[in-house]
Amino acid sequence: MNDVRAVFEKLGRARFISHLDLLRCMQRAFKRAGLPLWYSQGFNPRAYLMFPLPLSLGIGSICEIMDFTLVDDISCDEIKDRLNKTLPDGIKILSVDAPVKKHTEIAAAVYEIKFFDRNSNIILLFNEFMEQEKIEIQKVNKKKIPVQIDIKPQIEVLEMVSKDGQAVIKLKLPAGTQENLNVNSMLEAFQNFIKSEIDDIFICRTDILCLDGKKFF
Amino acid sequence: MLREKIERHILKVQKPSRYIGGEIGSIVKDKSKIDVRFAFCFPDVYDIGMSHLGMKILYSLTNSRENFWCERVFSPWIDYEKIMRENDIPLYGLESLEPIKDFDFIGFTLQYELSYTNVLNMLDLAGVPVYSKDRKNLSPIVVAGGPCTCNPEPLTDFVDIFILGEGEEVNLELLDLYAKMKKDGASKEEFLKEAVKIEGIYIPAFYDVSYNHDGTIKSVVPKNGAPEKVKKRIIKDFDNVFYPETFVVPFTETVHDRAVVEVLRGCIRGCRFCQAGFIYRPFREKSIGTIVNETKSLCESTGYEEVSLSSLSTSDYSQINLMLNELVDYTEKEKINLSLPSTRIDNFSKELLEKIKSVRKSGLTFAPEAGTQRLRDVINKNITEEEILSACKTAFEGGYSSVKLYFMLGLPTETDEDVEGIAVLAEKIEKLFYSLPHRPKGRLSISISAATFVPKPFTPFQFEPQALPEEIKRKQSLLISKTNPKTVSLSWHKTDISILEAVLARGDRRLCDALYHAWKSGCVFDSWDECYDFLKWKKVFEELGIDISFYANRKRSYEEIQPWDHLDYFVSKEFLIRENKKAHEGIATPNCRISCSGCGINKAIGGACFE
Repeated sequence: MNDVRAVFEKLGRARFISHLDLLRCMQRAFKRAGLPLWYSQGFNPRAYLMFPLPLSLGIGSICEIMDFTLVDDISCDEIKDRLNKTLPDGIKILSVDAPVKKHTEIAAAVYEIKFFDRNSNIILLFNEFMEQEKIEIQKVNKKKIPVQIDIKPQIEVLEMVSKDGQAVIKLKLPAGTQENLNVNSMLEAFQNFIKSEIDDIFICRTDILCLDGKKFF
Repeated sequence: MLREKIERHILKVQKPSRYIGGEIGSIVKDKSKIDVRFAFCFPDVYDIGMSHLGMKILYSLTNSRENFWCERVFSPWIDYEKIMRENDIPLYGLESLEPIKDFDFIGFTLQYELSYTNVLNMLDLAGVPVYSKDRKNLSPIVVAGGPCTCNPEPLTDFVDIFILGEGEEVNLELLDLYAKMKKDGASKEEFLKEAVKIEGIYIPAFYDVSYNHDGTIKSVVPKNGAPEKVKKRIIKDFDNVFYPETFVVPFTETVHDRAVVEVLRGCIRGCRFCQAGFIYRPFREKSIGTIVNETKSLCESTGYEEVSLSSLSTSDYSQINLMLNELVDYTEKEKINLSLPSTRIDNFSKELLEKIKSVRKSGLTFAPEAGTQRLRDVINKNITEEEILSACKTAFEGGYSSVKLYFMLGLPTETDEDVEGIAVLAEKIEKLFYSLPHRPKGRLSISISAATFVPKPFTPFQFEPQALPEEIKRKQSLLISKTNPKTVSLSWHKTDISILEAVLARGDRRLCDALYHAWKSGCVFDSWDECYDFLKWKKVFEELGIDISFYANRKRSYEEIQPWDHLDYFVSKEFLIRENKKAHEGIATPNCRISCSGCGINKAIGGACFE
């Protein structure tokens, strides 16, 4: 048995593969690559294949994490090569190692949002958005009752640049089991604030961090 | 660029991965090195089209030729169609994400009549004129194949070329001819006049149809060197026919999301209602070695953990047990689930059941089709009540506590006694279940699906009227009143869907107008309950003065020229008449392995079907 952690990117067309579909896609890739996954023992055996931080549909990433267990001992380099030979366009394994940190240590994720809209000053608007006293969104709590929560303290702006009519905003948002803010929920709040829809946009997850601010992997 | 436009809008729709391509196994080529670009269109959604074996075969086949590039195209669901129209996104191929209006061929597979409006809609979404006569240039040429091309008359105004029969050879011949003539700068007309010389090619514009006063066909006269009768194509060496080494593996879950190996083609049974049983003749099998090799190759290259053996009747494979033994050796080792979707009741053995069960339990479905022995003899479904009960016994003792049974309502000569016979049979199955000492725990559940019978061309029932909708509704109520609702769950299609199917299945060229106007008035996805709107269709038929009952509910004489009589599927009309007469006399015909009933297919293969 061989516990493995792979970091992969999900870009281009692969952004449109949903989380559930990704799971199936990966399982088949292991099969094609001749890498036998370890199956849980029991009535309905399942392959051990785990994504600690699912990515929303449409968002790109260069830091996706996938943990799995193989039946055989195969070197990390070989796992990476074999998978990369059979993964679909847009998904690429960047590194393969033995897992060090636990999933529960994940505390935040960094997102880079590119706005292609040339006609409005997104950065100015985003500053105004962040200057609000409160940024309230509706969420459903564990009892399935909708509640208003203030997400302003959760948003940490790391960088804002504007170049050639293209604005890039880099944000750090809480992620993981303790506290989590979906980048799409934040964007929805922003669109409500500016009262217009933004569809020309590219979001990419660029980093996954622990509580101490260090990289998860 | 189109790709950026697609990506910008795609998140607003359900299941975006239907529309973006990039799957493992999809084939992307350098278009500068390509002579012929082919858009293979399935006129329904991705999830359904991607489950279709014929498309997988012809996609791989076309792409096996270096100078051809075949791409997949499906009908966008209504949410995406709206976005496409609003944002000027033309219908595109999933491999290149380029508009198919610039391709050389736009090809449709016609699997069911209720997809016809989608054919028109897809042409329109592509930005191509829907009428054949309005497409003056050489490209795109609109072609169509598949089972419905055995009577494609309702689509003759829209499609340039129909391809009859099996496509593995004729498709390449047609594309080769096109590649050569395109280089020579040929016109569309010049190309069609050459193409018509290829066997299996039907060019509807080369036939003049005239009608009698009573609305029946008077004559069909060929011109431009078109043959009097167009022969369908048959693959003679089926064991060595092209078969894909790999499939495109979808991201989103499709209806049949698994590897599929075709074990045999054709059917020996000759059930008189079944079109597939006649138009796919003759019966041919693949060798065990070929089946095993194709299974391994597909599973290894796709990563699928399920393989299904496909055919009209898999248990009719001559060496079924030997074949399954060899396959199970491989599938068990690889933890692959083996499924056998088409198994007949009369050769459903314990041994067979063990093999299906060996990996995972799947549901059991049998198709007695009719409730009494008399009616089963009429339709030539050669199974007895004893066999049905014995198959159920085997299944129950093997651990199954639910069975699904398929029946039809409105079959020729059907009486109330036959309908009640369905309920009686269900009762007997129930009694059997509870009488078994080793039955599985829990209650028995029987699902009965009772479809409305639709008479189809090239079957002995092509002459028969479809039962009137009121009659079908009455029989459905009768069935409800006679079955035990605690054990039996009943289901059927909306009857007005079956009416449209009946009209289109045996329709003639005058229905092209109706199809056009129905599509114009918003009819698409007619096979989907949430989209089907019979009132719109009815209004169109009324406005055009088309009588539904002329097509659906009229008894047709043996002498009448049928709209498909100029198409030759090698099953002779004399044979169909003979079989029709026997049906009315309640006489069954033995299967082709027992004795040859002289359908005519042996003329096409130059000898007997069985040694």
